[in-house]
Amino acid sequence: MNKFIQMGSRWIGLPGAIIISCVAVSWLIGCAGNKQSGEVAVGTREKGGAQLWAENCQRCHTMRSPSEYSGAKWEVVMQHMRVIGNLTPEEHKQILEFLKSGT
Amino acid sequence: MTKVTVLLPLLSCHQRSARLSPDGVSAASAGKFVKSQALPRILLAIATLASLSIGRAEENAVPAGDYVSRAEYDKLKSEHEAMKQEVEALKATVKQLTASIAQSPAPPKPAGEGKQVVGVPSEAATEELRQEVETLKTQVKETLPGTMKFLLAGFGSAGFTARSGEDPFFDAAFNPIFLWRPTDRLFFQAELELGFDNGETTVELPIAEAAYLLNDYMTIDVGRFLNPTNFFIERLHPDWINKMPDKPLAVFDGLLPESELGAQLRGVIPIGPTKLEYVAFVANAPDLITESDDFSEIGMLDFDNTSNFGGHVAVGGHVGFIPIPQLEIGYGIQRSKVGPRDRAVENILQSVDLNIVTDSALLKGLITARAQWVWSHVEHFVFDPDGEQGFGPLTFNNNRNGGYAQLSYRPIHIDNDIIKKFEPVVRYDRLNQLHTPVGFDEQRWSFGLDYWLTPSAVLKIAYELDDKNGGARDQDAFLIQAALGF
Repeated sequence: MNKFIQMGSRWIGLPGAIIISCVAVSWLIGCAGNKQSGEVAVGTREKGGAQLWAENCQRCHTMRSPSEYSGAKWEVVMQHMRVIGNLTPEEHKQILEFLKSGT
Repeated sequence: MTKVTVLLPLLSCHQRSARLSPDGVSAASAGKFVKSQALPRILLAIATLASLSIGRAEENAVPAGDYVSRAEYDKLKSEHEAMKQEVEALKATVKQLTASIAQSPAPPKPAGEGKQVVGVPSEAATEELRQEVETLKTQVKETLPGTMKFLLAGFGSAGFTARSGEDPFFDAAFNPIFLWRPTDRLFFQAELELGFDNGETTVELPIAEAAYLLNDYMTIDVGRFLNPTNFFIERLHPDWINKMPDKPLAVFDGLLPESELGAQLRGVIPIGPTKLEYVAFVANAPDLITESDDFSEIGMLDFDNTSNFGGHVAVGGHVGFIPIPQLEIGYGIQRSKVGPRDRAVENILQSVDLNIVTDSALLKGLITARAQWVWSHVEHFVFDPDGEQGFGPLTFNNNRNGGYAQLSYRPIHIDNDIIKKFEPVVRYDRLNQLHTPVGFDEQRWSFGLDYWLTPSAVLKIAYELDDKNGGARDQDAFLIQAALGF
């Protein structure tokens, strides 16, 4: 156990480097990609909102019915989930459309 | 048939009038009277009073060819007068009825009758009208408070705990979460945590943060936010999500902070069908407990260091990888100095997490497997160096670790509405801190059964088998909890 901790201390720079790299790549994707907000990527579009809803929401909690909130309330909820659940803009858009269609 | 029957007696009456008896009454004048005034009215009356007239005519009928006497004539005359009055009354009634019918509203016209023929609107005009209606609907919605940009969510719970060696007790908690979305990119959220502790009502503020979407893949948060290195806290801690009535050792109220006060940069990188999540943050560092009335707390970390005693800053982050939608693995780390500024030592907190949720056709249900293990390392530190507190100078290996593994199964595809709402859960959790002032390691096996009333309302019951070493007493427990997310 101590060896693991010492290793963690020694390699503390590695997680930091990974995270910094992620930030940089994410920034590049967001800015250089010049993608319009909510534009749907091919893979995500193939899945559809219902499937993305099941895959992403179910990973943490039971799936709540689309009729539980109004469309306007789902927009607020999904903004919360987009941040805490690390949803891509495509997933966010697709899932939100699905939820609003069921209200 | 009825009309024929009615007319015959009247004709008889007319013939009898022309043959009056010789009592001074002229037969001609009598006939004139009948012809000019009474007969038309009688005929009219007969048409509406058929049944009445039938009876009377039949009673008064006399054999044809006989002369009538004066008495008969008087009788006929009086009957005639009576009939006149009845006809007048009937006429008045008919007139009244006609007037009332004229004043009543007209009956509905058949569809299409009287409708104006208009031209069919063009498609463009229809679309324009539809857009205007949609715009108006949106504007009306925006004027309703609390329906467009603000939302009250959260969860509440109530429970009962019977732990060996302790008095059993009921418990309750309420965690409202306020979500506010002023613009598409700006977002604010706050969570209150209301509960009970040692006879007092406690109020905590685990979340109070503003988030801004820098771009579609990156968000910056400032304020107090859930610890992103602690997967259980950030994703699974709400009572309606956590499948056990209590929370696992080490990851909750243990070796990792629940909330951080600072700023975080977080986002996601889609890599083909996979996804990489990341969080980087700076926050107040935890404080090292060097003085306490409870000796077992010496060497622990105080994560509620809102005033940032010691002036240290913690730097950390978490990376999560989702190779397939059913699997998520992550690693988090936080590093800071802790303790008094002149004797600060290094603290490293690490965590690995695993989350598997798969819908099994073979087992006809949803299988959830979760695990997390955390390590806390505090560099060598001398507690009570001059012996003022009565236990120093004291040094010890201040490394602790612990975590949990949990498995649950919910038979959602079984064709039984009752059984599919049950979810058995088994959890193993452990906290190792034998060589610290706490003086023991603890492990538990918990067996639970959940019943889902709705997707966000659950009843939980569990039994815990507790095992401590180091001479500490085992404390098995029986727990019940009802939780509701809203």
